[in-house]
Formats: sequence, structure tokens, C-alpha cells
Amino acid sequence: MVKKYKLENAVLASPTSLFLLAILGFPVILSLTYGFSETSFETLRSPEFSGLQNFRDVTADKTFWQAAWFSLRFGTITAVLECALGLALAVYLAPLIQKHSWVVAILIIPMIVAPAMMGLMYRLILNEFAGPIPYYLYSWIGSSPAFLSPKNVFTTVILAETLQWTPFAFLLFLTAYQSIPQEIREAATVDGTRPWRLFWKIEFPLMLPTLFVAVFIRFIDGFRVFDNIYTLVGSGPGGSTTSMSIYIFETFLRRGEIGKSMAAAILLFVSAFVVLSVAQWLLRRASR
Amino acid sequence: MKLTAKLLGVTALSSLLTGAVHAEVTVLGWPGGPEETALRAAAEMYNARAEVADDDKVELLFTSRDGFFDKLQVDLAAGSTAFDANLLATYSIGKYAPFLEPIPLSDEAGAVFGDTVLKTMQFEGAQYGVPTDLSLHFLYYRTDLIDALMADDAAKAKYTEIAQEHLGEALAPKSPEDWSWLDFVANALYFSQSVNPDSPTRYGTVIQAKNLLFNMMVFHSWPRSYGADWMDADGNITVDSEAYRTALSMANKLFELGATPPDSTSYEYAEANAAYSSGQVAAMVQWNAAANDLTGAQPDTGTFAPPSGPEGRFTHIHGLGLGLNAAATNKDGAIAFLQWLSTEEAAIAYAKAGGAPGLASATAAKLADDRPDLVQSGDYASTYGFVMNGGTSANALSVYEAQAKEFTGFWAGTQDLDTALGNTTAAMTELLK
Repeated sequence: MVKKYKLENAVLASPTSLFLLAILGFPVILSLTYGFSETSFETLRSPEFSGLQNFRDVTADKTFWQAAWFSLRFGTITAVLECALGLALAVYLAPLIQKHSWVVAILIIPMIVAPAMMGLMYRLILNEFAGPIPYYLYSWIGSSPAFLSPKNVFTTVILAETLQWTPFAFLLFLTAYQSIPQEIREAATVDGTRPWRLFWKIEFPLMLPTLFVAVFIRFIDGFRVFDNIYTLVGSGPGGSTTSMSIYIFETFLRRGEIGKSMAAAILLFVSAFVVLSVAQWLLRRASR
Repeated sequence: MKLTAKLLGVTALSSLLTGAVHAEVTVLGWPGGPEETALRAAAEMYNARAEVADDDKVELLFTSRDGFFDKLQVDLAAGSTAFDANLLATYSIGKYAPFLEPIPLSDEAGAVFGDTVLKTMQFEGAQYGVPTDLSLHFLYYRTDLIDALMADDAAKAKYTEIAQEHLGEALAPKSPEDWSWLDFVANALYFSQSVNPDSPTRYGTVIQAKNLLFNMMVFHSWPRSYGADWMDADGNITVDSEAYRTALSMANKLFELGATPPDSTSYEYAEANAAYSSGQVAAMVQWNAAANDLTGAQPDTGTFAPPSGPEGRFTHIHGLGLGLNAAATNKDGAIAFLQWLSTEEAAIAYAKAGGAPGLASATAAKLADDRPDLVQSGDYASTYGFVMNGGTSANALSVYEAQAKEFTGFWAGTQDLDTALGNTTAAMTELLK
């Protein structure tokens, strides 16, 4: 009987497995092939095996490390800001949302906008000559910060990303906050626990697993950022806003160094895999 | 089963019918803007010709400008048969040449376009495309501001004082047609409120300095006028030269002194045009394609070739054109269309429909009433036009990319000039070896 189910399971799972193999497997095999080959657009169909040369080239390229450092800083700062803001909003607005659930729909609007569109939108509204924000600042106080100047551009892209994705963290925290049994809060209140202490000693510890997941997801998303930065400021003067994804894109399409870009992609994948494994291990350990 | 068979039959039949009404020569054009309008008009005219067989009629294909050349590169490398002829640009011919075939032009092509323009579509001596549009740069300046400056002795004295203080020379204001790059900088400083609080404009100029290859094309007329080139005759990279150092440093002065908007390191074509159109910029160097927009927004706008340097006056030129896909399924039909496109009849039709072909003076004269701007751009292209040594090589685009990254880094203050030029030399040595 068990054997029969095993066969049935295998048969039923095979279309999905084949589909995934075709969709994910083919690019993975191609990336591995190109990552270990001397490949350009002229030799796409006849790559020559070059061992670890592409990996040596990538790790010797200071732009790669500059991009890795940018992605690390960007991913960390945005993850922390989004989670802090999302948590604060979820806890602060939870009573209001309990009465008026439509507030959630308004708060998550930024998430609905495609990141590339978001970049283009900021490019317009922050422009000194066409954008409404500099226009009103000039009208009211006679000057406006140059939002996309070399001095301010990192802060601007951080804020743009934070404003778009805080609602994601907010949704996670709101769900976690609302799932805390009301009896626990009532019991604590009856015992005379003050709201601040209630949050730090009871609610926050219960939301820690969600916080961990939210920080992790937002870090990964921030680390691999591409579209909103690329449409807003490109790779930045001197490559100052080049993220890992932008580095891979430009190395592949702009410079035609296909093997090198695939090697960078493989390194990115391996590092993400390591981070994911460590995070899962920490999560398991914390839940024990 | 019967229903399935019927559906399959209907699908097959409709596919055949659709194929029958499709044209047999597919041309991938430059989407949006006057180039698309002009190509549509030319294709319509060609398809209406009696001698063009139904199998050779032209159908146009347009995608999006965003990432156009990236997508084209992938399509060509993959041997796509989705189009028979495709867009080409001077700076990408070498890159795409392995996937293209040289084409014969009409006998009158030389007289219609002239050698300088035909060369913008050549690679290693072979003609890979028929030129359709010519791009070069104009100096745009506010005539009302210049006239007011020239008529005011106190203002002229202030101008000279500013030039003396920041450039070390007591320059007097001049007509923009006589400007050197030093005059351009002096004018930019005078009309910047950060240097001259009485300036009627916020900025004297706007330099589009986003890390983008096209912005380097706008810039490099400047070092060229000081004698710069990418390589010498022996193939040695010569970018770390006094000419490049002078031009980069002069431009940097405009950033340091606030004569260009502080976030212009994120500007490209659209932002720079918006700055000028707002009336807050006194003069700028920009593509000729912006002429209608800029003069429309600021009617008191004069145009001339970019300023001169010790080695003369120069303007970067490059052409857009159409070439033959090596994997084309209807090569003969595509060649016939491209040959016709290189005739005077086609060039005039293309120009009248809004295109900007680089025409020899005799042909341009026939358009003097309809398109006087083509006479000016044709004249500037033949008199001041240049292509850097290596500017059509296989890696020309990557060279521009490398320069964009390093030079914008210098202007943004993230690296010094020696580092920027050292990195550029290393990258170009690798790319042009």
C-alpha cells in the first residue's frame, strides 16, 4: 500500500519537478558552464573551459568588492530601518486597525508599485527643475538639498527603499502581534503590568521569531537590490551605487564578460546559501 | 477528440493566413521619437513602389529604447531570425559586426551623404550600414542673457573679475560663436549664483554627468579640442594626457564652484534638458536632437558648434543606421530596401518626415526650406566632426563605459584625477589591445 502511494506521489509530483528542472535547472547549468569558461557573446555556443580563471578575475576586481560592500551596507541598514519602523507601526496602529481594517490597504500601497517604477518616480519628484519636492522647498525656504548629489545619494536610495518596503515588515509584525492570545495580555494587565513592560517582557519576545524572519527577508531583498537604484541613479558616479546585482548586470551586458559575471553570480549564490544556512541554524537554536 | 482536431486545424489555418499577410522583410528600428516616424514614412513609400514584390515588402518592428542595445546584442548573438535588418550605431558596429554582413549601397550614396557620414557606418573598411540619422553636439546658449551682459559695462567688469579670480585670466565676455572652452567656463561661473549672487540664472551650465556612456560622448569634444585621442598610431593608449587632464580639471571646477547643479552627477539627457528648459541655466552643450525641445522652451536660444580649444573646434559625431542581420531569412529583400534607403529620394523623404540624416551640402540644400537645421548639422559634422581612434572598435562601448565610471568618480570627488586616468588607461589597454 505504502509502495503504491510512493509511486502515485512520484507520478503526481513529476510534472512540477520537471517544470522546476526546466525553469531553474537549465539556467543553473548554463551559469555553471559559463562561470567556468571563457565566454563572450561571440562564443556563447562554444565556451572554452577556463577553470577558476573567472573567479580569480572577479575577486581581483575592486569594483566587485565595492559592490559587495555597497550591498552589505544597503541590505543591513534598510533591513534594520524597515523592521524597526514596521514593528513600531504595527504595535502603534494595531488598535486602530482592529476597528478600521482598511487602514492596512492604504499602508501597503507602496509595496504594490513595481520597484523600477518607484525609482523612476523618485527620479522625477526629486529633480531640482521638474520635481515637486525641490519646487516647494525652493518656494518655502529658498533652497533644497540636492537629493541625488554624491553626498546625499546613498541616504536617498536608503530612504526610497525603506519607504517602499517598510509596509512588508509592518504586515508581518501586525500578523504576529494580532496572533498573540488576548488572554495573555489580559492576565498581565490584571496583574498590574504597565503597557511598556507588557510590550518588552511579553509581546516582543513572542514576536522575536517574526522579527528574525523579517530582518532576514529584508536583508536578502536589500542585498540583491537592482531595479529601483538602477532606474533612479544607475551605477552611480565612480560606481558608488553599484550593488551586486548591478555589477553582474553590467559585467554581463555592458562589458560582455559573460564568464566573469556568471562567476560573480555563483559567488553571490554561495554566500547567500551560507547566510541562509546560518540563519536557519540560529532560528532552530532559538526555537529550542 | 474531434473538437481538438478542429481547434488544431483552425489554429494552423489562422497561422498560415497571418503569415501570408506579414511582410517578408522585417526591420528592427529605433523606437519612439522622430526616427520611428521617419522610418515609418520611408517604409510606406518603399512598399508603395511598383517594383517591390509582395515578398519583399517591409514591415517594421519596434521594441523599447530601454536596454535596446543589450537586447539587440543578445538577439544577434543568438542568431535571431526575428528581423532581417536592424538598427546600428557607430559606436556599436564593431561589437555587432560578427553577427552582421556588409551591404552594398546605391551608386548615389556617396553624393547624398558624403564620405564623413558614410564612415560612421563602416568597420574595418567595410560598409555595414546605411546611415539614417546623424548625432552631434551643439552649444546652446541664452541670447537674451548674453545680449544683456554685452550691453552692461558693470556686468562685463564683474565677468572679468570672476574670470581673473577663478581662472587666472582677465577674460572679457565674447559672442558664443567665438568661445573657447575657457570662455565657456568663465561664462558658466558668471551666470552661477554660487559665484555671482546677482546672476539671473541659478547655474551657468549643466553637465550631464551620470555614469552613463552617452554622457562621455557629450564630454569628449572638450578634451579633443585640446588634442586628445584614445590611442596613438601605434595603438598605445593616450588617455592619460595633458589634453584629458586639462578638460577634466576644467569641468571639475564647474562642479566644485557650483556652476552645474550639485546632483548633475545623476543627470542624463532628460534631466539636463529640464534644467535648461526651466530657465535656470545659461548655456550647455547638448545633442542636436534636443534643438526643438530647448528652443521651444527657451525661445531666446542660440546654437553653434561646441567651443574651441588650442587644437581647434570639434564635435563628436555618430550615426544611427540600418544594417543586415547575418541570420536574415530574406537577405535579398533586406539588401534591396537598404540600397533604396541610401538613395537621395529616400533620404529626402526620411528627412521630411522628421529624421535627421547627415546629408552632403548639395542634398541638404534641397531641404533648406523644410529642414534648415539639417543644413547646420551637416555643415558642423563635415567641418568639426571627429571619431576617436578606436571609436568604432568592437569594445568602443565598453571604453565609454570605463570612462564614464572613472571620470564621473573624479567629478563626484570619490577619486583623484591620477587614479581616474590610471584606471581608465588600464581598462582601455585591456579593451583595445
